[in-house]
Amino acid sequence: MIVSFNYRPRSSLIERLDPRARWIFSILVLFAITMFWDVRFLLFFLALTLGQYLLARLTWRETRRAWYFVFFIMTTMVVVNTLITSSGTIGAVLRGTHTVFFHQFTMPVTGWSWEINLTVERLWFAVTQVVRILSISALFLVIPFTMDPRQYGATFRGMGIPDRLAYTLDLAFRFVPTLGRDFQVTLDAQRARGYEVEKVEGGLLTQIRKMAPLVVPVTMNAILSGEDYANAMDLRCFGLHKRTWIERLAYHWPDYLWIGFGALLLLGSIALSLLGYGKFWVPQILLQ
Amino acid sequence: MEKKSLWSFGTREVVYAAIGAALYAVLSVATNFLQIPAAANVSIRPAVAIPMFFGLAFGPWVGLISGLVGNVISDLVSGYGFWPWWDLGNGLMGFVPGLIYLQMTDFRALSDIIKAEIMVVVGAAVGMFVASISEIWVSGVDFATSMATNFFPSFISNAINGLILVPILMVAYAAVRGRSGR
Repeated sequence: MIVSFNYRPRSSLIERLDPRARWIFSILVLFAITMFWDVRFLLFFLALTLGQYLLARLTWRETRRAWYFVFFIMTTMVVVNTLITSSGTIGAVLRGTHTVFFHQFTMPVTGWSWEINLTVERLWFAVTQVVRILSISALFLVIPFTMDPRQYGATFRGMGIPDRLAYTLDLAFRFVPTLGRDFQVTLDAQRARGYEVEKVEGGLLTQIRKMAPLVVPVTMNAILSGEDYANAMDLRCFGLHKRTWIERLAYHWPDYLWIGFGALLLLGSIALSLLGYGKFWVPQILLQ
Repeated sequence: MEKKSLWSFGTREVVYAAIGAALYAVLSVATNFLQIPAAANVSIRPAVAIPMFFGLAFGPWVGLISGLVGNVISDLVSGYGFWPWWDLGNGLMGFVPGLIYLQMTDFRALSDIIKAEIMVVVGAAVGMFVASISEIWVSGVDFATSMATNFFPSFISNAINGLILVPILMVAYAAVRGRSGR
């Protein structure tokens, strides 16, 4: 199968929670994390989100592709931010005064110059950024592996999004295997005609244009069949009444506890922030 | 095929938003799976043309949901987790071209194709700008870093894919629509 979901039941503690409770918790914790630039607070959140990762019984083997992706994006952003653009969102403090490395490059003919001024403050900010990005990544990375795709429609309906939108979400998930199969059939048919997608030659523009024999038939077939789906739904009076869902969700006491814990974290973070805690912090020992 | 208002979201829109989202996800994952060679480190993700085209053909809400939900599903299938701000950016790439949905009368006409191409570039710019700017809040990078590492690579790649594939999809759609009699 060319397209398949990563979810499989694992009987983990996290999976026993209502998916709505898990979404609400994740969003509350996301906002709590973004209130801090103090690595001591961020390490607490990293421990918390990694704890959730372990409770979900995820393995490195399953998630390594996602982690590689996160590491690549994170490294690019942090390196460019620290070495090249050399500022940061939390202001002039990041320029710092404790220089570790300084070098000035001058372009030969033009005379343009470019300075690399690495300070303790900027390096520590990079460390803080890494901890913050990893915390957020670990928080959301758990979801695709531990939440049943069949429950997304009912979950978001239960969180208050309109019926039609929730139904769209549900329908989209159900179309994925069908369209994945259509894509495979089209790919095989085009290969039988001598189209070798792995050997598409030419520049970038030519390569994109040569994807059309795959993209166009799958898209047009899907659009044509869409008319039939819409007619069938209209004949069954879709949208006239409130929908019922096969997947029934019900909150239990651990779900309330989980949401309460998330709310407590966010409220605590807001309070700490108002009291002046959580701003960018550099260990005193590094400044001596 | 009767067009209603720009903002209607009836049965037809529900179905096409779902199809657009599923198509975007499937084509993203499938073309990634095929390991198509890329030039100059620019990854080829032809699927970005789907939300743009669905916006033009079925309206802004369909474009928005195709991009947003499609990116969510694509990340789910690939196991990349959830990146809500990038999902929103992808949704905007479909939403912006959808704003000229009512003006798209003949998908084969040069004037409609030019209008669509302009909106594809604007959509890619708006969508990727919103997603990139959110990295300032999330990752703490500065504006210049966000533009250099997030905005420009994604905007250029998505705009090129859209500029090439959206007109091809428009002409094919005009032919299919004419033959189906709908």
